[in-house]
Order: sequence, then C-alpha cells, then structure tokens
Amino acid sequence: MSQMLAVKTENLGRVYQIKRKRGESGPTTLVALEGVNLEVRQGELFGLLGPNGAGKTTLIKILTTLLTPTSGRAFVDGIDVVENPQEVRRRINMVSGGETCGYGLLTVEENLWMFTQFYGLDFKTARERIQYMLEVVGLADRAKTKVYHLSTGMKQKMNFARGFLNDPQILFLDEPTLGLDVQTSRILRDFVKRWVRERPGKTILLTTHYMVEADELCDRVAIIDQGRILACDTPANLKKRLQGASVFKLQTTPLDTLEHFKQLPGVTQFAGHRRNGHTELNFILEDENALVKVLDAVQAKGGHLLSLEKREPTLEDVFIHLVGRGLSDEESPPERIL
Amino acid sequence: MATQVLQRETWRESLRSLKVATWLGWQIESNWTDPFLFAVYSLIKPIAGAMILVVMYLVVSGGQTGNPIFPYIYLGNAFYIYVGSVLMGISYAIIDDREHYGVLKYIYVSPIQVYFYLLGRGVARTLTGTIAVIITLAFGVVVFKLPVNFLAMNHALFWPVFLIGLVGLALIGILLAGVTLITARHNYFIGEAVAGALYLLCGAVFPLDVLPKFLQYIGLGLPMTYWLEGLRRAMLGTSASPLLAPFSNETILIILFSSTLLVGLISLSFYRWCERRAKEKGLIDMQTMY
Amino acid sequence: MKNFQRELAVFVRTVMGRAYPRLIGLQRERSWLFFEIFLPLLGTAAFVYIYRALGAKPEFTGFVVLGGAMTAYWMNVLWSMATQFYWEKETGNLALYLIAPTSRMAILLGMALGGMISTTVRALAVLILGSLVFRVTFTVSDWGSLGLVFFLTLVALYGMGMMFASAFLLYGREAWHMANLLQEPVFLLSGFYFPIKSLGFWISAVASLIPITLGLDAMRQILYPQAGWGFLDVRIETLTLAILSVVFLIAAHRMLLWLENIARREGRLTVRGQ
Repeated sequence: MSQMLAVKTENLGRVYQIKRKRGESGPTTLVALEGVNLEVRQGELFGLLGPNGAGKTTLIKILTTLLTPTSGRAFVDGIDVVENPQEVRRRINMVSGGETCGYGLLTVEENLWMFTQFYGLDFKTARERIQYMLEVVGLADRAKTKVYHLSTGMKQKMNFARGFLNDPQILFLDEPTLGLDVQTSRILRDFVKRWVRERPGKTILLTTHYMVEADELCDRVAIIDQGRILACDTPANLKKRLQGASVFKLQTTPLDTLEHFKQLPGVTQFAGHRRNGHTELNFILEDENALVKVLDAVQAKGGHLLSLEKREPTLEDVFIHLVGRGLSDEESPPERIL
Repeated sequence: MATQVLQRETWRESLRSLKVATWLGWQIESNWTDPFLFAVYSLIKPIAGAMILVVMYLVVSGGQTGNPIFPYIYLGNAFYIYVGSVLMGISYAIIDDREHYGVLKYIYVSPIQVYFYLLGRGVARTLTGTIAVIITLAFGVVVFKLPVNFLAMNHALFWPVFLIGLVGLALIGILLAGVTLITARHNYFIGEAVAGALYLLCGAVFPLDVLPKFLQYIGLGLPMTYWLEGLRRAMLGTSASPLLAPFSNETILIILFSSTLLVGLISLSFYRWCERRAKEKGLIDMQTMY
Repeated sequence: MKNFQRELAVFVRTVMGRAYPRLIGLQRERSWLFFEIFLPLLGTAAFVYIYRALGAKPEFTGFVVLGGAMTAYWMNVLWSMATQFYWEKETGNLALYLIAPTSRMAILLGMALGGMISTTVRALAVLILGSLVFRVTFTVSDWGSLGLVFFLTLVALYGMGMMFASAFLLYGREAWHMANLLQEPVFLLSGFYFPIKSLGFWISAVASLIPITLGLDAMRQILYPQAGWGFLDVRIETLTLAILSVVFLIAAHRMLLWLENIARREGRLTVRGQ
C-alpha cells in the first residue's frame, strides 16, 4: 500500500524548544505538528489548507528532509525521510512562496542552470527545460536579465520555474503564488493543474491559505490548524458537510461587541471581524429561520444592516465550521476591539 | 523662522539617527553569544594580533625588548586596532543592511540623517575596539614592561589627539561606505583592506623614515600619521621618528586637526556623490551575492 | 557501477554549477581587482618595512612576501568558503542546496574552485610584484617538491575549511564570529610573517595542525635552503601535509553529515538571523 502512496505520515509530530533568558516567563516548547496522519496518492494534486502558523511549512520541511520529526514517521515515495534522505531528494523539489533566493549578479538563466547541475542534468536537457519553464512563467524575455534587476514577483516566478526543472516525482509547493498578481497566479495555477494531468504518477503537495486556490486545484484537501489535521477529503465532500446548513455573510455598521452572536439559537458557527468602516459577520446556521434572530441581535446592538448574502459553502466555511474562526483571522478573538 | 524650525528638525533627526544606529550596532555586535565567550573573543583577538609583531621583533632582536623601537611598534600596533574597527564598522554597515538584512532601502526612505546613522553603526565597533586596545596595552605593560604610565602621561596632548583621530577615522569610514554603496559585496572587507594598506603609510609600526621618499610624502599627508605620533608622544614622552621629531606637539595637533577637516570634506562629498550614483543606477537595494 | 557513475556525474556537475556564479560574479563586477591586488600588496609591504626597520636579514623579506601571498588562500578558505554557508542560509539558498541530491562537499568545492581565480590573482600579485619591488630572490632547490607542498597545503587547508563550513549548518552569527576570531591567532601560529621555529618546538608542533604552518615552512625551506629557519625536515612536513589532507577531508565529510543531522533535528537548517 505504501508503494502506491507518494506521501505518507504516521502520527507525525514536531515540537520546537524555545530558549528563554533567565527570569523570562512563558512556554518552553512550541507544538508545531501533532499526530499528523496523512496519505497522498501518486498522481494526486493534494492541498494542505490552513491559516498562518498552522504547521504547513513545518510539514513541508519534514517531507523535504530539512527538518526531522520529534515523533512519528514520514515517507516520501515509500522512503523514510529520516532514514534515507538522499534517496528522497532525488525524487523531489520544493518551491516556497515569498522567497527571493538566487544570486543577484547572475542572470535568470544562469541561476536556473546552476540549480539544474545539482540534479545532474546534462546541458542540453537543462537548457531545454529552462527555456520551456521561462516561457511558462512569462520570463522568456528576461532570461538574460540579472536577478537584482527583477521585481519581487519576477523573482518568485523564477523560483517557481526552478521547482520544475528536475521533473520531480513529488513537488512541494509551499504557498507558491504568494506575492504574485492575479493574472500570474492564474497562469501558474493552470500550469500546475496541467503538469499533474499530463504526467501520470507525478504528485504535487500544495500548501496555501487561499481557499480559492485549494478549491480550484486540488483533488483532495487536508485542513490543518494548530498542528493537527482536522479533516481530509475532496473539496466537494468537505463542503457537503455543510449541505444542510445555511451560510450567510452580513455586513453591518460597526458593532462594539460580537460575543453574543455565538450564543444565539440556531447559530452553528460564527466568525466576525472589523473591516474599513463596517463589520463583517459570517454565519453557518442550522437553517434559514435562525437568520431572524441574527438580524434582531444586530439591531439590538444599535447596528444597521448594510448587505446580506446567502451563498454556497466554501472551504473557508468548512474551516470556520471546524475551527471557529476564518482562514485569515488573527489568533486573538475577532471581537476584541483595540 | 522656517529655517530655524528646519534646522531644529534636522538636529533632532540627526540625534535620533545616531541614537538608533548606535543601539542597533551594539545589538548586532554584542548579542551573538554568551558573555563568557564574548570575553574570550575580546581577549584572544587583540593579544594574538599584538603577538605577531612582538614575535617578529623578538626573532630579529634576539629576545631583547629594551630597544626604544619596541614601545614604538607596540603602541602603534595597539592603537591601530581602532583603524580596522572603525573603518570596517562603518563601511560594512552598508553591506550588512543592504544584502544581509535587506533594510537599507527602508532606511533610505525614512527621515534619517545618513551620516549620523553610519557614525552610529560604527560606535559599537569603536567600543569593542576600545576594549581590544585597552587589553593590548595592559598586556604590553604587564608582560613586556612597556614604559607607559597612564596616570603620568601627557593628558593635555593625549585626549585631543585621540578624539580628533577617532573623528578622522570615522570620516574615512564614511568615504569607504560610499564605495561599498556602489560596488558589489565582494568588497565587504574594504575597511580591513584599506586599514592594511594604511598600515604601510602612516608609521603605525615603523618610522616613516624607513619608507622610500615618495611613500613618506604620502604618509605625511595622512591624518593618522599625526594621530599615532601624537599618541606616542603623549604616552612615551618622545618621538622615535626623525622625520616627525622637528614638529612640536602643537604643530602635530594643528596638522592633525586640519588634515582631519580636509579628509572630512572629501569624505562627505564623496559619499554624497556615491549616494547620487546609487540612486541613479538603482543600487540601494541591489543583491550581489555569488 | 552505474550508481557510482551517476553519483560522480552529479558531483562534477555540482562543482561546476556552484563554481560558475563565482567565476561570473568576478567578471561582472571588477572592483575586486583593485582591492584584491593593490591593497594586499601594501599590507604585505608594511611587514617588509617592519623587518627593514628592525634590521632583519634579507631572507625575512622573502618570508613576508611568501606569507603575504599565502594569506590570500587562508582568507579565501575562511571567508569565501567556511562562512559561505552562513550567507547561503541567510539568503535562503541553503535549503535549496540541501534538498538537492548532491554532496555538500561538492557545493563547497565548487565555491572554493570558483573563488580560486581571484585568490590566485591576489597571491600571484603579491608574490610577483612583491619580489620585484623589494628585489626578493628565491632559489628553488626543487620545483617538484615545491609544487607538491603547495598542492597538499591547499588540499589540507580547504579540507579544514569544509570542516569549519559544517559548523554553519547548525550555528549562525556565533560561528561567523568564531571564524573572525581565528584570523589573528592563525596568522600568529602559522608564522605567516616569521619562521614558525621561533615559537619553540611545542607551540610549532601544535600549530602544525593548521596546514598553512607546515606548508609555509616547507616552501620557505625549499626557496631559502641556506637560511636555517626550518622547523622540521621538508620530507616530514610534506608527509604530514599529505596525512592532514586525508584526515581533514574525511573529517569534513563526517562533520557535514553529523552537523546537518543535528541541525535538522533542532530545526536550525533554515533559521535566519541566528
């Protein structure tokens, strides 16, 4: 069974030790991952969805042999990442979003060529793949440009191209569209989808906190928060969990407190936050009838309704349903007004 | 009125730049290890540096330290630690901020006074340099019986010379910072490299008289030559350089002051030019690692 | 056999790949020519004049010029190889190197070879110009021995540098400062500017663990056979350098693996600003 799996983790955990100065109070450990059991099949485009600090990057680092787990085991293409990391490296590559790696004095082409040599590609193959990937990411006309003349987005595109050059069995994309404009993000997402479809047996594990990306691209999605996998299924099945429920989005004039909304009868889950000059409230209700009570509660707190939208459940709603806050919410409760 | 307000604001920004940069420089220089290791580091480096020259001297002299040239060499070498520290501390700040931490562009978009910022960044290295100088001098007095009495030396000469010299070094550091602003990071060692070159020219460890004539003239044009001469005279009471012996203490001080002023004008103008060039060519946030 | 061929091909390609940025970087920004040729020459000249001021014998000028030339290799090992992993870590490139199926030593060797041009330019400039300006004459008693000693010194020195580099997989600025700390003591103990024999037998013996110590001493003996300042016989020094080469390369390989494993366990391979 494990040979059919591109990635498998068994009760994987990672705890960081925090060094404190003498007299400094606070926790001395940070649990980044806990009891993670994951199976990613070969040929899948698998998504890992979670907010900042959920443990996505920690999981990627373990699977790409940059970090060892403190408990449990992880296998990439059936190979233990701790026992035989070199063998794992022959099969993988990684792209991290928001990174601007590379050498400023070298051109785009030269930077990419250097990395192909670490994978043992011959000159002809390396050149062909570099040219192809530069076309894909829209940097063909910048091949001879020195990297320090590129914008941040272009550096990220170059980084993205680098990840595909060795034609890896399993590719880890850690928030690859971070910092890219909408059009470029779309182009890269289309390429990622095509790449997996056209190469049976190739697998991509994609981490993101953009639920649109996960929804659009992934065959299956695992939702992770505070180091734990909360759910793992196809996007459609995950959303079906909320099929009976009604999902509403309200915008009101600014409200002082939001705590009371959670206690309203019929409210399954709720997340709210302040935006520019208004308050946004997301509700998952048992049924539509509960909406009346919500509107009454808004009025009772002196608020006025600005807009009301009923929509189909999204992955973010699934997340809110599981966790009780949105993907982009901060750690502190949204109703705390500074 | 508006001019006065602007001047006051500029001074406030200057002091703020100096204060923040000093704090930042100290944080970077000092918090990389525990105090014990830091103490070991501060002790070993200067003593090893001093011992290179001491051994060279002992090899030739057959172990005698009574020759008057020995304190000349030792004192010059001890105070020369400042040259490397200050030049490196200021010039390296540009590369550190630009390529390592990626914050130089943010510094440049903020209302700082860049000269004061650079000076502040150099303060930490000056302080660690001071520790090294004190250790080296103490080592020399205790182990090699250097004829120096810190209490009985000529303070009236020592302190003005010392302070003007430090200012001169800081200004040269700013000049080198200008160079690093427009060149790649492979010149990260420019401070130390220039210090190494000046070692030859300013009579740090041998009298200028030993040099060929044309190099002597260059040496006579450098403020550090008079700085080191003034410090030696203040501490030893004599000059071991026949070339500089005819100058009185006051003359040494005046030449030091004027040459420092001139170096200052050149350095600050050059840095401004480099800054303009860096902005024209988009070099403020360039990355040049390879 | 096929596995070995594949590994060798990856090793060689990695060396070439990593050397390339160094070679190209030097071409694209040539300010280093001034700082690597002219300034080190002045620095070396200072030590020549120190000896002249002290009335030292003429061969001491030759000692200083040779020491000044070899300084280039020591600085290259320390700053362009050993500490380089620190900069790669800080800029995010280290992680990309480490997930590639290639040898860490190949990456370091690539860095070393890539930097060899500027290093050798500096060394030759000091040697040739220093000899011309200060009228130094060398009498090479055996070119073969000189070449062998030089080669073994570099191999052992770069092996030692790889050992230092492994520290940066785990540490950050602390290791950088430790490398900085090494500069002056190595200049002292290796006898860059004076014959190592003058430090006494036991200090010289301990200092011989630094490859440059014996390398410089052996080269000085070959170039000044009559000077009488040699520490040990040239053949013993050559043999010791050969042993050090092997020992340091093996130790480097082990340390790179060991420290990388520790860093992976502690999560420090990708930590920046340590």
